[in-house]
Amino acid sequence: MKIQVNARNRAHHFNATEGEKLLYAGLSGAVGLPYECGSGTCGTCKARLISGEIVDAWPDAPGRKYLKGDDEFLMCQCVAKTDASIEVASFVQTMEAGVCVPAALKGHISSAKLLTSDVIHLQIKLSQPMEFDAGQFVMVQVPGVAGFRGWSMVNYQREAESLEFIIKKKPGGGISEWLFNSQCTGVEVEVFGPLGHATFYPGLSKNILCIAGGSGIAGMVSILSRAAQDDYFRQYRGDVFFGVQTLKDAFFLDEFSRLRAQCGDKLNVTIALSKEDPPASALSDYPHLKFDTGYVHDVAGRHMQGNYENVRAYLAGPPPMVDATVRILLQARLATDNICYDKFS
Amino acid sequence: MSKIRICNTAEIPSNGMKDYDVEGGLKVLIANAGDCYYAYQGVCPHQEVCLAEGYYDGAVLTCHQHLWQWDITTGKALGLAEAPLEKYEVKVEDGEIFVLQSSALKAAQLFMDVSGDTLQRLDSLARREKYESGSTLYNIGDPTDDLYILDSGRVEFLIGRDGTSPAGFVLHKGEVFGWAALLENQARRIAKATCLEDSVLLRLNGEETLKVLESDPASGYLVMRKLSTLITRHLGSQGEK
Ligand SMILES: Cc1cc2nc3c(=O)[nH]c(=O)nc-3n(C[C@H](O)[C@H](O)[C@H](O)COP(=O)(O)OP(=O)(O)OC[C@H]3O[C@@H](n4cnc5c(N)ncnc54)[C@H](O)[C@@H]3O)c2cc1C
Ligand code: FES
Ligand code: FES
Repeated sequence: MKIQVNARNRAHHFNATEGEKLLYAGLSGAVGLPYECGSGTCGTCKARLISGEIVDAWPDAPGRKYLKGDDEFLMCQCVAKTDASIEVASFVQTMEAGVCVPAALKGHISSAKLLTSDVIHLQIKLSQPMEFDAGQFVMVQVPGVAGFRGWSMVNYQREAESLEFIIKKKPGGGISEWLFNSQCTGVEVEVFGPLGHATFYPGLSKNILCIAGGSGIAGMVSILSRAAQDDYFRQYRGDVFFGVQTLKDAFFLDEFSRLRAQCGDKLNVTIALSKEDPPASALSDYPHLKFDTGYVHDVAGRHMQGNYENVRAYLAGPPPMVDATVRILLQARLATDNICYDKFS
Repeated sequence: MSKIRICNTAEIPSNGMKDYDVEGGLKVLIANAGDCYYAYQGVCPHQEVCLAEGYYDGAVLTCHQHLWQWDITTGKALGLAEAPLEKYEVKVEDGEIFVLQSSALKAAQLFMDVSGDTLQRLDSLARREKYESGSTLYNIGDPTDDLYILDSGRVEFLIGRDGTSPAGFVLHKGEVFGWAALLENQARRIAKATCLEDSVLLRLNGEETLKVLESDPASGYLVMRKLSTLITRHLGSQGEK
């Protein structure tokens, strides 16, 4: 099907196949359509139908509350039945050379390990390698659960043959119940990506500040791996704040210790515990890491005071945590183009 | 010009903000900065998000969704923002805040920077016209007499020899089209403009507009600068970069 999208600045054209979500079809055609969650909640991908016929795969999507007229729809949930003309209100550019154009791929779950009682480390082996930027995420669909879910990559390699994720259980959630209650290794999955704008590349030449709550740490680990591979912390500071409720909910502490030993004292990793004071054992078990009590945004705000010179901040986690962190960074007068995040909803 | 009571000054925290729903479904944001009060559209021009839920430090307003920012004294876009905020004139009388709904020209980005006097003169040139869905505003080859500003509704542009290929861009409230009326050696329209919905437009005669701008070169310069940016954007959009 031929799709024309009229944007604020110009028209673009792309092809959509049977059953392919319009957002995914446009993005894989290198058309930089607006999106954020890719999964029907944020409303960022809203568009208006001018001509043609579309079908909404998820008419109950929460993101539909941002729609006004009957002719508006979410591109990440709708598929075209015929050639169609649609309209989006923002500027849309063709993706620049050098950015990783997303594509639909197949893969299978090659391993699934519990890190804590409600966090799983998942690996998906891809049928063909994927190039992505540190900090990006992909959409994954598993058999028997409706819709795609966004998960941030933990690993970073060029031409990655497998992707690793950290997934936190959401009680009652579709994928959560499936992942935590079934034998999922070996299962074939569909992957679409890479997506996301909160990316890190060594040419940035800025100190980096990573503030993450819970599974939000995934993308930060990818960013830190990429930076470490480039010896980035010889020249620039890296401050990482990882928020969890209690020490029992924390994971990857060995990996952080190793990174810290490898990168030297320009890299600082602080674990913020919101529901307990750091037990003495934590300090002796992980001498390279710092521990503090409080919400991760408050802890980061305290430690970073006066240290915002030449800083690029990466945030990830539940929306209230991201909002609270943005507030602190704006108060510290960090410019908005140095505040990067893809909200988890 | 209508005058609407919004609230009591005591309701607005110092260097803070609050939003109000006024008659006709309009949401208005009132912000305090020192001794001054400002009034803006209450909903983010990006998506349907209430600006009062965002961040404001007494100088810069930030929408919490995607961090668009505006200067609170002017409503001009800062940082990542792609559009300015619509500003309303504020009157404070005996501790009560009123908002004056003024000319729609004020919302036109092209005229955002012109002086108050010049805006008033342009305002008197502007004709407010309603068009039904499907009406043609101008055709390819028509004389380029008027400049248009979209107040409400939707307008589509068709180009090509027979005027049937959509030019494929979308106009927002306050955007200007038909600007060939301000250019030299552009006597004929090169696109056909039709209304896709019932629309309200402001029309200004090109020559008269130029006369007003010539009499206030400082404002005229700022308008021409905006216009050249606008034209460059359209040139840039013809093909791939
Ligand atoms: C950019 C981004 C990155 C993320 N990164 C991570 C990460 O690294 N680790 C992590 O644990 N979580 C991450 N998340 C959250 C993750 O996508 C899921 O929300 C989470 O795994 C819970 O899924 P669930 O199926 O258990 O919950 P559910 O509540 O069942 O579903 C969660 C989401 O899935 C979509 N959905 C639900 N039902 C349907 C349907 N019928 N059709 C279509 N879509 C549907 C909706 O968007 C819903 O909000 C990320 C989210 C985003 C947006
Ligand atoms: S991208 Fe479609 S609703 Fe978020
Ligand atoms: S909704 Fe306000 S910046 Fe996007």
